[in-house]
Amino acid sequence: MIPIAVEPSASRSAVPVEAPEPDVERRPFADVAREHLDRLYGYCVRLTNDPSDAEDLVQDTLIRAMRAHDDLRDPARARSWLFAIATNAWRDRSRSRGREVRTVPFDALAADGQEFSLFQAIAIEDPFPYSDELHLDFLRLFRDDDVREVFGSITPAFRVPLILTVVHGFSCKEAAAIVGVPLGTLLSRLHRGRKQLERGLWDYACANGLITTTDEDDR
Amino acid sequence: MIDCREAVRRMWHYLEHELETRRAEEFEAHLETCQRCCGELEFSRHLRTMVAEKEIPPEVPTELRTRVEALLGASDRPTEGTE
Repeated sequence: MIPIAVEPSASRSAVPVEAPEPDVERRPFADVAREHLDRLYGYCVRLTNDPSDAEDLVQDTLIRAMRAHDDLRDPARARSWLFAIATNAWRDRSRSRGREVRTVPFDALAADGQEFSLFQAIAIEDPFPYSDELHLDFLRLFRDDDVREVFGSITPAFRVPLILTVVHGFSCKEAAAIVGVPLGTLLSRLHRGRKQLERGLWDYACANGLITTTDEDDR
Repeated sequence: MIDCREAVRRMWHYLEHELETRRAEEFEAHLETCQRCCGELEFSRHLRTMVAEKEIPPEVPTELRTRVEALLGASDRPTEGTE
């Protein structure tokens, strides 16, 4: 087990404190943590891309959450509250390791002024000439591990909105609150994440022989 | 009327129900005249479903569960003098 030093003030300051709702019955912290542990661990695995790091991040998150439990007024928001703490803890850990989570807009995809379109690339390359479901057949090529590998290659700041909205089903507004950015910023990062996902899937398919293309230099 | 490039930009926001009414209506008006964007919208739906389905949460390792239970056990115990 890796000992984790936690600054109590740091865990509280970065997470939005909810407005008090005195009539809502408070659940014991242990109940809240047990209920959401599976999803929290899944989120941490996707954040860190490393199961071992994820275990430490879960522990760090729960220690911080335990100390800030008074801030959780609405039990219905417990999951987003825990995810926000996990996101902050992950950021702090990345920072302390010298791996700053990139927040400055970065778009290697737009180097030529054009955004990559997976839909268009599949249509142009037509890797399954006799298929009636060309685009769906492309998606069917990918196994779970393939998708995870592509997902893991997306720039972290753009990957997080995808994880929160597409995988965990949060609304963009909820995801923005969890990440601690304005909605517009979240939407912009979601778009960039989507484009990196599309490009990643295409490059992965080409590099791993899932498809053969006529002229890969054009991509 | 928006063009395909703008429609593609709005596509995932539309699927997230995050487009404001006027922008959603512009997007839908574009779809009525553009078969290509209809196809891409459908593809985007499938892509999102694929990612969500293949990103199955891994099982919590036994060792982590034990660590967490130890942590929560400490939080469950009443502080001395409070009961």
